[in-house]
Amino acid sequence: MEVISQNIVYFIIAIAILVLLLVWAYVTRRMQKDFTTVTWVLIPVAIAINGVIGYIVGQLKLPVFLDSIGTVLVAALCGPWAGALTGALSNFVIGMLTNPTDWWPWIPVAFFIGLVAGLCANAGLFKSWWKVVVTGFLVALTAAIVSTPIAVYFFGGITSSGSSFITAYLLQTGRDIVGAVFSTNFLVEPIDKISTAMLAFAIVQGLSKRFLARFPRAENVQTEGGASRTQLFIAIGVVVLLILLAVFVVSRITGG
Amino acid sequence: MHDRLSFYYYRDSLLHRLNPLTKIALVFGLILVSFVSPYYWTSHLLVLVVIIPLIFVGRIGREYLNAALRIILPATAFLFVMQALFQPLEGEELFRLWFLHPTLESTLFAFRNAARVFAIASSFTIFLLTTHPRELMTDLTRRGMPPQIAYVIISTLQILPQMQAKAQTILAAQHSRGMDTQSTFLKRVGSLVPLVGPLVFGSLVEVEERAIAIEARGFTSSHVKTSLYDIPDTALDRALRWIFMGLAILSMALRIWLS
Repeated sequence: MEVISQNIVYFIIAIAILVLLLVWAYVTRRMQKDFTTVTWVLIPVAIAINGVIGYIVGQLKLPVFLDSIGTVLVAALCGPWAGALTGALSNFVIGMLTNPTDWWPWIPVAFFIGLVAGLCANAGLFKSWWKVVVTGFLVALTAAIVSTPIAVYFFGGITSSGSSFITAYLLQTGRDIVGAVFSTNFLVEPIDKISTAMLAFAIVQGLSKRFLARFPRAENVQTEGGASRTQLFIAIGVVVLLILLAVFVVSRITGG
Repeated sequence: MHDRLSFYYYRDSLLHRLNPLTKIALVFGLILVSFVSPYYWTSHLLVLVVIIPLIFVGRIGREYLNAALRIILPATAFLFVMQALFQPLEGEELFRLWFLHPTLESTLFAFRNAARVFAIASSFTIFLLTTHPRELMTDLTRRGMPPQIAYVIISTLQILPQMQAKAQTILAAQHSRGMDTQSTFLKRVGSLVPLVGPLVFGSLVEVEERAIAIEARGFTSSHVKTSLYDIPDTALDRALRWIFMGLAILSMALRIWLS
């Protein structure tokens, strides 16, 4: 019982910080500046991109979700609050069309993915390939942290997704439930979110400067000194190394 | 595609006539009660005395059964089996098979969790089956939600099926010119770009035009807009909302009082 009340304190602190940020952004009118007509029109398209790329990835049977590319795109082009709204509405609408149980409980996770991606872009972390990898990693960390309490308290630890087998394994090795769920998320999320961020960056690269200039945060995605191919290869190399590291960690856990 | 947005099915029933906000209150009340109630059987009881009667009141038996068999039951069954086998709860061992040894405690825990998820998933499904997205958005906008959010949701409901159809066309086209979408992992990763590229850039190009079009129709105007649809909000609706809120508060009070 003591652990639960301690977690509730963390939860309340996190919510309070979020509300303060929201009020601050609203009062200083930073938020309103980002919500232009172009932003409002981009959001539905971004949600459709989320849904359809998720569908194609499912058809290709790739081991990732990639269902937040549109969210990261909006976050980079139109700021953190637009990104957060896109994420939340994305899960709401896709759940409405396909399966509410798989999507609606994770609305807060999508909200924070958009928020953190936007904050990273504001901090200049969406301007070259290696910085985008950092953005992806930070987004993944956030997603892992936010989805842990939902998985634990809403579903009881083991959710209806395939990665639950890892959680189940970790539980068998004697970990506590929060630790097991968090470790699972932390193993699964980085690969997914780093590829998401890199694909979103690739999409931005393919758009013309004239088109990008219409969005309120166009300066966030101005590339530094040309996003060259060498950089892309270095970034892909880093990601492959990260994947190998994750595989190594998993095999160590399963082997030991 | 025009009238088949989301799960909605038109029936002439009391549940369909209720105000959308009342149904939202019902869903939230159900979630709250099933989570905070201190009794073990609450979720099971909710399925029996709330969910099943609601299906009959809403006259959506066939549609609900379809959704339940296709989506809800497989997910909850998976949840139940996994949690019964792997929840680390000490207690009386039921049986032992290789490394699996579910205990009585973990099975009971899994049964309650599965019932809770089943009740919540069912309430979501009933809500979507009986509420037209347009009604929901009109009503929420009238109650102060920014109309831009209604625009986002309604237009996404239209764009998404269109883009999905486009994605299927592109997938079929690339198949016919011999793209490999079935074999090794690296080949499937490689085929992601030619599939996603045309789709994404094609849809982003439309953004600019659409922004000009809706701006010309007064999208950002702050005047109050009149609505074509009138969503009734009767005394029954208000009474029901108070009852749901009361029940939620009662279950919270019970939880605090009994613990």
